[in-house]
Amino acid sequence: MGRRIAPLVLAAIPTLALSLAIPFVNRFEPSLGGAPFLLVWIVAWVLATPFMLYAAFRLQQRV
Amino acid sequence: MTPAAVALGIVAIAVIAAAVLGICGARGRLKSPLEYMVGGRSFGSLLLWLLMAGEIYTSFTFLGAAGYAYGLGAPCFYILCYGPVAYAIGFFLTPKIRAVGERYGMLTGPDFFRVRYRSVALAGLVTLVGFVSLVPYVTLQLTGLQVLLTIAGFGAFEPKGAVAIALLLIAAFVFATGLRGTAWASILKDALVVVVVVFAGIALPQRIAGGWEGTLRAVETAHPGWLTLAPGTAPHGVEWFVGAVVVSALGFFLWPQGMAATYSAKNGDALRRNAIFLPAYSLMVLFVLFAGFAALIALPGLKGAAADQAFMLVVRNQYPAWLLGVVAAAGALAALVPVTAQLLAGASIVAKNVVSDIFGACTDDRSRTALTRALVMAVALLALGLWFVLNTYLVNLLLYAYNGIAQFVPGVVMGFSWRRASAWGIGAGIVAGLAVLVATGAFGMKIYGLNPGLVGMAVNALVATVVSLFTNAPDAAHFEEFCAAARE
Repeated sequence: MGRRIAPLVLAAIPTLALSLAIPFVNRFEPSLGGAPFLLVWIVAWVLATPFMLYAAFRLQQRV
Repeated sequence: MTPAAVALGIVAIAVIAAAVLGICGARGRLKSPLEYMVGGRSFGSLLLWLLMAGEIYTSFTFLGAAGYAYGLGAPCFYILCYGPVAYAIGFFLTPKIRAVGERYGMLTGPDFFRVRYRSVALAGLVTLVGFVSLVPYVTLQLTGLQVLLTIAGFGAFEPKGAVAIALLLIAAFVFATGLRGTAWASILKDALVVVVVVFAGIALPQRIAGGWEGTLRAVETAHPGWLTLAPGTAPHGVEWFVGAVVVSALGFFLWPQGMAATYSAKNGDALRRNAIFLPAYSLMVLFVLFAGFAALIALPGLKGAAADQAFMLVVRNQYPAWLLGVVAAAGALAALVPVTAQLLAGASIVAKNVVSDIFGACTDDRSRTALTRALVMAVALLALGLWFVLNTYLVNLLLYAYNGIAQFVPGVVMGFSWRRASAWGIGAGIVAGLAVLVATGAFGMKIYGLNPGLVGMAVNALVATVVSLFTNAPDAAHFEEFCAAARE
């Protein structure tokens, strides 16, 4: 992957996971600690986004 | 002292302390328009983070998000989603906006359109839409403040007068300090909000249902299906959810106060670092949602706008007055600090893009700062007047305000990517997008459950493309230079 494209892909993944993917994860099971899968999915991606943007940042700097 | 006096006293001390902090932080700087409106383009990662967090986490985050969790359930998760999406987009977009802002000396959001499309008339249109969207946002914060003061005062006094005094004080604060004051006042606000939100999100569910798991199980038992979205095009269903995330995220940085914050960054990396750290801050919303769910267990049965009060009422029922005061103080600052940025941005766009650029008055630095300051007070009075007259109606209008701001997206995106985009095209696109909003809002037209802001944006982009192709091609050299500046 090109070094200009890779950061865009890294940012696009959480963007899609938290928007267009929502209809596919809108269910209760499998739940975790009483939380519906929908909420688990969202929180996981909210937590992952800073790491993915940080990776994008480092890749950009190497250009 | 009565409990009401304790709680309200703490609120008053917090508001004054935040103002003093802001005034000290902004002291001794020459108030050129550059310093006053965009902090002299000198903010590093930390001050920028404070400013953006200060603008974003408003009393809506406090009362609105808890109210959503209480009144609607799973649809409230959208408030968790749109922040990270916005930062993922802003990571790429805001450094470009900042770079052209510095190269061409832009001070306001509409300046972007003036420079790129070489049209003060288009910038005037953007100013009008931005201003009309901003005022309901200010009035919403006033309503939030009113709710907080009513509850903190144990319903013993009518807080409309107190809200008016608070707004005028805060306008005087903006008059004195400008954008740098907002960033400094955010220190106290963010610190207080973080402490209160984490407390409310952990202690309330613990006390009421034995923790997060107990709270979620109690909610699901009492309201089966509450924690997942309704399918398809149902009200607040899946389609609504995706549309709300996309529109909120795309419009996020294009609010007038958001553009000012972007310009205030000293370089692109400050904005990129900010985009990395702010999504983690979105997790704070999760704590608020749990507080809202806990309130639903402890105090069921509140309907409509009263749902927004549930969280505060539970705090009042369960905890001593001083703690209620601290929670209300965090909420009051969460209402007032964003208002400082909103008043400043509203005044800036009118001073710069209407009075100076269109009417040619107040074009030197001194008179422009003086005019902006006068307009800060005028915007505050206008918002206050509208709030007294149209209170509830304007809250509904806020949802439309977000959709209005989203109509700037095609002009900004095409600005960096399509040479043929012309002022007529972008202007016609914005008007077409607004027409869609008016048709759905005023006449209740339904478009298969799709978000009207999103449909408006699509129509907007289509009209902008077609009209641009039918108008004269803009100067290619200008576009090349603009794009070169965006690359820093």
